[in-house]
Amino acid sequence: MHEYERGGVHSHDPMGNGAIAMAHTILVVDDTAFMRMMIKNVVQKHGYQVIGEAGDGEEAIAKYKELRPDLVTMDITMPKLDGISAIKAIMEFDPNAKIIVCSAMGQKAMVIEALKSGAKDFLVKPFEADRVIEALQKAVG
Amino acid sequence: MTYESDFKLDVLKELGNIGAGHATTALSTLLGNKKLTLVVPEAMIVGMQESMSLCGGPESLVGAIYIRVSGGLCGHMALLLPYESVQSLLGYLLGAAPQELRDMELSTLQEVGNIVVTSYLNALAEMTNTQLFPSVPAVAVDMAAAVWSSILAGAEVADYITIVQTGFQTDAEIIDGTIAFIPDEEDLAKLLGALGMGEL
Repeated sequence: MHEYERGGVHSHDPMGNGAIAMAHTILVVDDTAFMRMMIKNVVQKHGYQVIGEAGDGEEAIAKYKELRPDLVTMDITMPKLDGISAIKAIMEFDPNAKIIVCSAMGQKAMVIEALKSGAKDFLVKPFEADRVIEALQKAVG
Repeated sequence: MTYESDFKLDVLKELGNIGAGHATTALSTLLGNKKLTLVVPEAMIVGMQESMSLCGGPESLVGAIYIRVSGGLCGHMALLLPYESVQSLLGYLLGAAPQELRDMELSTLQEVGNIVVTSYLNALAEMTNTQLFPSVPAVAVDMAAAVWSSILAGAEVADYITIVQTGFQTDAEIIDGTIAFIPDEEDLAKLLGALGMGEL
């Protein structure tokens, strides 16, 4: 059995010293249910706990304030409010928020704007699972 | 056809080639690095009626994902897939070919379209040194004629449209499709200018 398949709260042992740490919590933001499912599958396999999902920028801000996740994966092109605006609002609420952008919009200017707004990393869809985990690990240090 | 319109088509074709190359790589990655062959793009100026015959004819069932492009260059982009290709794609991505298309199937189709079309757009933005913004994609499964009518109504074109048609194909399965890029008429000149070719 994999570690992440244990019952109850997902736990992992990032330090490798036998001390079981609480799993990092993630809010997954994307307007398509398919991409949320893909991201959820990848992160859960690596011991992260998805505590919420949002389908647009407004919902993302509300869910962030409500759930206070350790990490956020954020799409850019979404209805109601785009991801860049949502990043700005979340960073204003919590300057320590750790947000990773996952978007198909890989144009340089967009990447720069997202990073300037406070995103920790920018993954261009379609992404490899390893890249997602690497970015998450880097963001939580 | 005049030299000028020939030249315009040539430029569009080349843009289509590079854009579709990026889109094909994106789709291939999405499909677990499955080998995809790019069908050589064709740029054409077609009338309403002719556009209906693209992607299997007006009465064929297609899945379509459509976005409005804004920013440095305005226009419309669409990915059209014959229904068989929709089923192959969904079967591959969701584990089994669906009997009917429910929310998750449509959501998957929307995301495939979003990634493919936006990859194309990213290449175009890089080449023209502009920023291009895709709208949230709309998704539809309907007869080709109905889908084209919706796209062209959104494109506000009456008589003729410029279309860059490209596609991709795997060795084992048929996942062919059409990417249509329909730049707004006045922006076509801007596009050529951005590529350093001046206005025609």
